[in-house]
Amino acid sequence: MINGAMTSGTLALLALGFTLIYGVADVVNMSHGALYMLGAYLFFVFTTIFPIDLLLAFVLAVVLTGIIGATIYRLAIHPVVDDLLASLVITVGVTIIIQELTIISFGSYRRPVPSFAQGFLTLAGVKVPNATFLAFVVSLILFGGLWTFLAKVKIGKAMRAVAQDHEVAMLMGINTERLYMLTMGISATLAALAGVLITASTTRLAYPHMWDTPLYLSFSIVILGGLGSVKGTLVGALIVGYAEEIFVTLSSLYLPGGGFLKGVVAMAIMMTVLILRPKGLFGKRIEMEE
Amino acid sequence: MEEIQKEEGLIMHLLEVENLTKRFGGLVAVDNVSFHVDEGEVVGLIGPNGAGKTTLFNLISGFIKPDSGTVKFKGENIVGLAPHKIVNMGIARTFQVVRPFRHLPVIANVIVSLKSPRGNRKIEWLKTPERKALDMLEDVGLTELMLEPAENVGHGDLKRLEMARALATEPDVLLLDEPFGGLNPLETDFLMKSIQRVHLDEPTRGIVIVEHKLYALMRIVKKVIVFHFGAKIAEGTPEEIAKNKKVIEVYMGEV
Amino acid sequence: MVTTYLRRAYTSFLAHVVDIPPRLLALLLFLILLVFPVTNPTFSFMLLLSLANLSAIFAASWDLQVGRTGLMSLGHALFFGIGGYGAAMLIVFWGFPSWAAIASSALIGALAALAIGYPCLRVKGPYLSLVTMALPLIATGVVFYFKDVTGGEKGLFGWPRLFPFLPYAQQFLAEYYFTLLLLFACGIALYKTANSGTGIVFISILDDEVASKACGINTTRYKLMSFSISAFFATLAGAVWVHLLSAANISLLTLTTSFLPIIATIWGGIGTIYGPIAAAYILQVLDRYVLNEVFPIETHWHMIIFLVVVIIVIIFWGRGLARFVTDKLDDLSEERNLDERGPHIWKKYKKKKA
Repeated sequence: MINGAMTSGTLALLALGFTLIYGVADVVNMSHGALYMLGAYLFFVFTTIFPIDLLLAFVLAVVLTGIIGATIYRLAIHPVVDDLLASLVITVGVTIIIQELTIISFGSYRRPVPSFAQGFLTLAGVKVPNATFLAFVVSLILFGGLWTFLAKVKIGKAMRAVAQDHEVAMLMGINTERLYMLTMGISATLAALAGVLITASTTRLAYPHMWDTPLYLSFSIVILGGLGSVKGTLVGALIVGYAEEIFVTLSSLYLPGGGFLKGVVAMAIMMTVLILRPKGLFGKRIEMEE
Repeated sequence: MEEIQKEEGLIMHLLEVENLTKRFGGLVAVDNVSFHVDEGEVVGLIGPNGAGKTTLFNLISGFIKPDSGTVKFKGENIVGLAPHKIVNMGIARTFQVVRPFRHLPVIANVIVSLKSPRGNRKIEWLKTPERKALDMLEDVGLTELMLEPAENVGHGDLKRLEMARALATEPDVLLLDEPFGGLNPLETDFLMKSIQRVHLDEPTRGIVIVEHKLYALMRIVKKVIVFHFGAKIAEGTPEEIAKNKKVIEVYMGEV
Repeated sequence: MVTTYLRRAYTSFLAHVVDIPPRLLALLLFLILLVFPVTNPTFSFMLLLSLANLSAIFAASWDLQVGRTGLMSLGHALFFGIGGYGAAMLIVFWGFPSWAAIASSALIGALAALAIGYPCLRVKGPYLSLVTMALPLIATGVVFYFKDVTGGEKGLFGWPRLFPFLPYAQQFLAEYYFTLLLLFACGIALYKTANSGTGIVFISILDDEVASKACGINTTRYKLMSFSISAFFATLAGAVWVHLLSAANISLLTLTTSFLPIIATIWGGIGTIYGPIAAAYILQVLDRYVLNEVFPIETHWHMIIFLVVVIIVIIFWGRGLARFVTDKLDDLSEERNLDERGPHIWKKYKKKKA
């Protein structure tokens, strides 16, 4: 039970990145999962290949991914920002490129990722690994920080303005191109954060195909909570986090060897939601398509 | 007399809208609207912008479901049916903002309608779909552009294409949503004549036209219904409506 | 009598093929491919070309779905996999002879498309893309879970090739011609479908589904039709594929496999049908030969290079994705040439004009 809440925290962060770039720039970023993976791999590189202090590695991995994300945006996405189909193809293409680069650099087998912290602590009678708890706390702090940023800081408010109405924002002098780049950078940073936090605490593994689960998780959380809604993201994350936890527990009891099906949960949730409600749970109920 | 006949269920109108209501959030777009269209009637729906006329069309043609009320077509309630089914039953509509199939040539746009079960059935067995489509284009004067991709065609011609496409399904009720929108006087005149010809070709067909250009509309319709804020506020002949005080108030400033 | 027929066939040929440049080019390429074996290529090269033929069918089938109906599916590999695994399982576990297995898988694929499409096609736009992207992954999960039936990671293998009665050397030749003719047949079938009355309805759905409904079209039925036809050919390609390689494994279901037709389509021109065929061919030759033996580059770089090209094409000619479609539709308007159906009508109209 507690574990469910722990994972939800980080998932919320991940999904927030996804919904941010969609809300602000109307971009469905299929490479969000790949950026998560990139963060994890960079952390791996910085801690294993150049042994650096864990914290420094963490910061470096995350920031570097953020910069890479913004660059990807500027080079590959911005030119087609208004063409949904094209941006879909391009972002999936980016995902595959990142995947292949990862295979070339590190091989297709799994790489171990060091943990933040050793040991366990007990919360409400449940043993929780320190690392997971730490990840949870960090996620909460960052989530809160981002919330304040969007609410109070000028740039954050600009983002919200653009999310609401692009043209009006442009008329008011907001440089949408740069803003989108920044948003993408933040989005990528969030993805990387989730990537490092989760791999360094729970899974402890990095492999080149690990981008799919985060992508599906992000999508399903965001669809559950409504694209573009921060509050919804939190709710969605909680639901998905718990659902996954429940499924994992159940499956380990009833389906031996079905562990890899875990990623399927996210997909299943997402597909069911989409099929039953083609516009998402809290999405706008437009009955006649424009 | 009509009331008695109606109560005894003797009169069946071609199209009957009863107590139709639709809300979007807090806004009432269509407010308890009732009216009917009989065979051969050409009816105009007028009213200031935002009066709910297009929503009404969307409700009748099945693209939106009403919150309450019924739409009876030849006595049968069609609320809840899928839009394409309603078309195949005999109600066709055009769109206020033209929706051509951009990549298809003009003639193919019409052929799409002819591929529907209703459009297909009505082809006299000697005629090919292309011939039938050509006929429809002749009726609206678009034959010269027939092979032109719709995206290269001008607005006025697209409006006529909309009508040709709707007519290709041989509807019993034709709903035209602002057919004169954006047309210059020459095009308006031509379209007026086209609509009159359409009416004469098929005298049992009911035509409902939503329009703002009153000088064009008033000349071709027999009955006018006026809407304001989603509700019907007046009904009568064009002459009666022109003199109606309430209508004049509502339209103050508009011609 | 015979001469009149021949003359008519000849004029028809002129009008339908020679006058339309892309078709003429396609015909020339086909003829070149037909006589290619005279150059005495190696077995592996012939195998490569046979595989390329199948890949082209796979790509063209996707083009019908996306370029003509607007169903942007990112999981087309699903059907390739159904074809491959289906045929393999039919042979290994039920003892089907090769040809029966291939035919059955294709039908299974088409039916599966109807079943899968019914819930999935209700979903629009990017959501459809995501849902379809997830399908092959789910299939991969299923493959791994039912290891005993599907061979898990190793996959299934060990069945005879398509023409076991021929001597070894001739088998590759036979496979080459078989796949080439298959490509020709499927290509024409897809092209004709795309340019038929049904194809016109497909395009109407692509352009404006709401307007299409307003024309009385049951768009759901047509979308399912398009999806199913597309799946049929993709499954067919997959089923033959595993016969050429005598192996079926999860490489059939990867995202990379799903992406091959996407790359081919963008390189070749979305919606044209023949564009992706040519591009898929080039893609396979590049991937397996040019970048393997002529300029050896490590396999994983291939995909990266292809994708970078795709991204560049989209960015610079992305607006022209629509242009490709328009170009293709110029062909369409020429084809729907009224001369075909009613030469008298055309003349009558011309007279009226005068």
